[in-house]
Amino acid sequence: MSALPWSPMAVELWLAAVIAILIWYDLTAAADDKPKIAILAIAGLLPVFPLAFAHPERSGAFCSGMYLLDPLARGFKAFFALTAILVIAMTREFARHITRGIGELYLLILTATFGMMMLASAGDFLMLFIALEIITLSFYVMTTYLRTDEKSVEAGMKYLILGALSTGFLLYGISFLYGYTGSTNFAALREAIARSPTLPPWPLLGFLLIVAGIGFKVAAVPFHWWAPDVYEGAPTPVTAFLSVGSKAAGFVVLLRLLHGVFEPASGVWMGLLVWIAGVTILYGNLVAMAQMNMKRLLAYSSIGHAGYLLIGIAAASGLGAAAVTYYLGGYLFTNLAAFLVVIAVFNATGSDDLTAYAGLSKRAPVLAAAMFVALLSLAGVPPLAGFVGKFLLLMAAVHRGLLWLAAIGAAAVVISLYYYLLIVKRMFVDPPADPTPIPVSRPVRWGLYGCMAGILAMGIWQQPFLALAVASVRSLFS
Amino acid sequence: MIIAIPLCASLLGAIAILLTPADQPGRVRRIAVAAAGAALAAAVGLGLTYDAARGGYQHELVIPWIPTLGVSCHLGVDGISVVLTLLHAICAFAGVLVSYSITERVKEYFLFYLLLIAGVFGVFTSLDLFFFYLFYEMAVIPMFPLIGIWGSHDIKDYATMKLTLYLTAGAVLALLGLLGLYFAVDLRTFDLVALEQWLAQRPLPGDLQRWLFPFLLVGFGVIAPMWPLHSWSPIGHAAAPAPVSMLHAGVLMKLGSYAIIRIGLGLLPQGAYAWMPWVASLCMMNILYGGFVALAQRDSKFMVGYSSSSHMGYVLLGIACLNAVALNGAVLLMFAHGVMTALAFALIGHIYDQTHTRLLGDWGGLAKAMPFVATCFTIAAMASAGVPGFGNFVAELLVVIGAWDTYRWQGVGAVFGVVITAVYMLRAVRTGFFGPLPARWASLRDATTPFQRLPYLVLIAVLVIVGCWPGPLLAVIDSSTHSLIDRVNAIRTVARLDHPPSPSLPLPSGERGGMRGSAEAAG
Repeated sequence: MSALPWSPMAVELWLAAVIAILIWYDLTAAADDKPKIAILAIAGLLPVFPLAFAHPERSGAFCSGMYLLDPLARGFKAFFALTAILVIAMTREFARHITRGIGELYLLILTATFGMMMLASAGDFLMLFIALEIITLSFYVMTTYLRTDEKSVEAGMKYLILGALSTGFLLYGISFLYGYTGSTNFAALREAIARSPTLPPWPLLGFLLIVAGIGFKVAAVPFHWWAPDVYEGAPTPVTAFLSVGSKAAGFVVLLRLLHGVFEPASGVWMGLLVWIAGVTILYGNLVAMAQMNMKRLLAYSSIGHAGYLLIGIAAASGLGAAAVTYYLGGYLFTNLAAFLVVIAVFNATGSDDLTAYAGLSKRAPVLAAAMFVALLSLAGVPPLAGFVGKFLLLMAAVHRGLLWLAAIGAAAVVISLYYYLLIVKRMFVDPPADPTPIPVSRPVRWGLYGCMAGILAMGIWQQPFLALAVASVRSLFS
Repeated sequence: MIIAIPLCASLLGAIAILLTPADQPGRVRRIAVAAAGAALAAAVGLGLTYDAARGGYQHELVIPWIPTLGVSCHLGVDGISVVLTLLHAICAFAGVLVSYSITERVKEYFLFYLLLIAGVFGVFTSLDLFFFYLFYEMAVIPMFPLIGIWGSHDIKDYATMKLTLYLTAGAVLALLGLLGLYFAVDLRTFDLVALEQWLAQRPLPGDLQRWLFPFLLVGFGVIAPMWPLHSWSPIGHAAAPAPVSMLHAGVLMKLGSYAIIRIGLGLLPQGAYAWMPWVASLCMMNILYGGFVALAQRDSKFMVGYSSSSHMGYVLLGIACLNAVALNGAVLLMFAHGVMTALAFALIGHIYDQTHTRLLGDWGGLAKAMPFVATCFTIAAMASAGVPGFGNFVAELLVVIGAWDTYRWQGVGAVFGVVITAVYMLRAVRTGFFGPLPARWASLRDATTPFQRLPYLVLIAVLVIVGCWPGPLLAVIDSSTHSLIDRVNAIRTVARLDHPPSPSLPLPSGERGGMRGSAEAAG
C-alpha cells in the first residue's frame, strides 16, 4: 500500500468500498436481512481507526494540495468513525419507528461519514465544498426519514432550504476569495492573506460570507434558526448525528480556515468571533431554560455548546485549538449518551417531553444514572469530560485576555446547570407517572457504559487525551 | 502515603457502594462506616504525625497529572489544613453514623454522601489549584441530589437549586481568578507550593493583585458565606437532611474561608491587604445581621443556619485582621464551630425524624421525653454562645484579641454578637426543651443505644477537649499561620500601597500585554 500514490486516502477508499458493497447487499438481500447492514456497517467502520493513524511519517499535502493528511485530519477521521459507530448502534434501537428503507438509512449515515472524512482532509475550497455537500445531502434525506410524521417532513424542508442558503453563502464567499487571490488552495490563500493581513474589502466580504456559511453548519447565532426545529423533528439518531458529527465537521473547517488560512488576519476577525461566541453561548443557554421537550432542549443546549467551542476559535491560539478538539471529544461521548437515553425513553413512553422523564430513576436506574452523568458533563461539572473541556476553553480565553468572553462562559455554566438540574430533579425526585420499569436492552446498556467510560476517562485521566489534542492541532500553527 | 487515605478511602467507598446491589442497605451502610472510619483514622494519624515544630507542608505526595498544563496531583497538609482535615473526618464519621436514620434509597444516598465527603477531603489535602477547584466543585454538586431527594418536603426544591447555583456561581468566579493568576505568573504551573515560592520572590504587581483578589474573595466568599451572599445557606441547612446539614454547616462553609486563607492570603498578600477592610466591614453584617435574623427565627434549623453565618463572620473577621493571633482564632473557630454545628444539626435531625416539625414552639418540653438529646443540645447551645470550656470560647477570644489592634470597633461588635448568640440559643433551649411537654410528644424515643449516642458523644468530647486543652491544636495551627502572616507582612512592607482599591479598577494595559504576549501554553 505504501508504494502507491493514493495511499494517503486509504480511509476514504476503504469507506467507499464498504459503501459500494453495502449498496449491493441492500439491493439483493431479503427484507428480513436488511437490518444486518447495521452490523456490517459497524464492522466496516472499525478498520478506519488503524487506517487513519497508519504511516504517521507520510503526513502532508497530496493531490496538489487538495487533500491534507495531517494529525488533525487523522484525529478527526477517528472521531467521525467513532461517532458513526455509536449513531448506527443508536439507529438499531430506533429502527422500530422507521417503516421503510432502514437499510438506506444506514447507508446514508455512512455516506455522511464519508463526507466528514473528506472534509477533515480538505486542503482546497473545492474539496471542502464537495465534502460539505456530501454531508449535507445525506442529512437532507435523513432528517425526513419519518416520512409520515409532519414534524420530520418540516424538519427536512427547513434543513433543505436553509442548508441550500448557507451553501450559497459559502460558494459566494469562495468566489470572492478566488477573485482576489486567483486560487482556492488553502496554502496559497494563506500566503496571499499573510501579504495583506488587514483584509481588503473584497476578500473581507468573502471571508464574512464563508463564516456565515459555516455558521449555519455549527448553528452559531445568528445562523441557528434551523436547529431547534430540525433537531426536534428529525429521527433521534439523526439528531444525535447532527449535533455531534455535523457540528464537529463545522469546527474542523473553522479550525482549518480561521486558525490556518485566515490566521494572519486574526486581528480582523477575533473581535467578530468573540461577539458571535458570547451571543451564541448566552442565547443557547437562556432559551434552553424555557424548553419542555427534551430534543428541543438539547438543541438549544447544543447551540450553547457551539458558542463555547467558538471561544476556542476566537482565542486563535494553540491552546484554543487544542481546547476545541478536547471539548469535541468529550462532547461526543456526552451528547451521544444523552441521545441514547432519549431513544430508550422514547421507545418506552412514546414521548420526548420532559414529563416523560419523571421518576426515571425508579423506572430505569441505568438510564437515569447515565443521563445524570451526561447532563453534568454537559454542564461542566468535574470530574467529567465536559469540565475539562470548559476549563481549557476558559483558559484559552483568559490567556488571550478575552476576559468578558471568559466571564460569559463562566456565567453560562451556572445558567446551564439550572436547566440540566431541573431534568435531574425530574428523574430523581419527582414521582413517575407510570411506575412500570423500563426494560433496557443490552446494546443500550453497553453503549451507555462505553460513553460513561469515555466521559470519566476524559474527565479524570486528561493527559493522554490532551496530548492527542495538542498533537492534532500542532500542524495548524506550523 | 497516609495523606491520600482520607480521599481514597471515601472514593473507594463510593465505588464499592455503586457496585453493591440496592437491596442490601445493611452492606451499603457498613461500607460507608468503614470508609469514613478509615478516613478518620488516617486524619487522626495525620494530625498526630504532623510536626508542628517544623511547620510548613508535610506528608507531601506529588504525582504528575497533566504535565502539558503544569497540573500535578499534589497532596499535602500544613498546620491549617491538617486541622480542617481532622474536623472533616470527625464530622463525616459522625454524619455517616447519623445517616443510619435514612431508610429511603439508601444506596444512592450513601453514594452521594461519600462523594461529598471525598470532595471535601480533596479540597483540604490538595496543593494544586486545578485539583483544588476540581474537588471543590465535586463537593458542591452532590448537595443537589442529597437535599433534593432526602430533604424536607416544604422547601427542598427551592433550597437545593438556590444552593447549587449560588455555590457554582461562586466557584466559576473564583475559577476566573485562578486562571488569571495562572497566566500572570510566568511559571505555567497550578502547583500551589511552587507558586507560593515563586511569588514570595517575585510578587505580582500591586494593581494586578488588587484586581485578581476580589475574584477569589467573592467567589470563595459565597460559600464562606460572606454577607450579602449568604442567603443560600440558612435555607439550605433547613432543607437538608440532618447528616447533610452537619457536613454542610460543619465543613462545607469552611471551604470558603480556607480557600481565602490558602489562595487569597498565600498568593495575593497585597491584594488581601487592600481588600481586607471591606471584609472586616462585611463580616460585621454577618455577625450582627445574622445574629439578629437568627433571633427572629421560630424554626430551629433556620435559627442554627443563621447562627452559622453569624459565626462565620468571626472567622472572616479573624482572617481580615491579618495577624497571627486572629488568624489562629479564625482557624480554631472553623474547627470548633464545625463540630458544634454538626452536633446541633444532628440533634435537630434526631428530633425532626420523629416530630416532623422544626418549629421550636411546637417542640415544647422535649427534655422530659428525650433527656439525653436535650442535654446534648444544651451543651451545643452553650458552646455556640461562647461559654468557657468549649473550643468556641477560646477561638472567639483569640479573634477578638487579634482584632483589637486592627479593627477595634468590629471587635466590639463581635463581642456584642456573642450576647445575641446567647439570647437566641438559650431561648431555643427554653422553648424547645424546658417548656410544657405537649401530650403528642410523650412517646418520643430518646437516643438510648450506645450506637445512637456515639456520634453525639464524639462531637461533645472533641468540643470539650479543644476547649479545655487547646494547646496542641493551636500549636499545629500556629506553625503555619505565623509563616503565612510573616509572608504577608514582608510583602506589605516592601510594596508601596499608593492606590486605594476600587472595584472597577481595569487591568493595566502593560500587564494585559504581558499576559497576551507570554508564551503559548500549548501548540
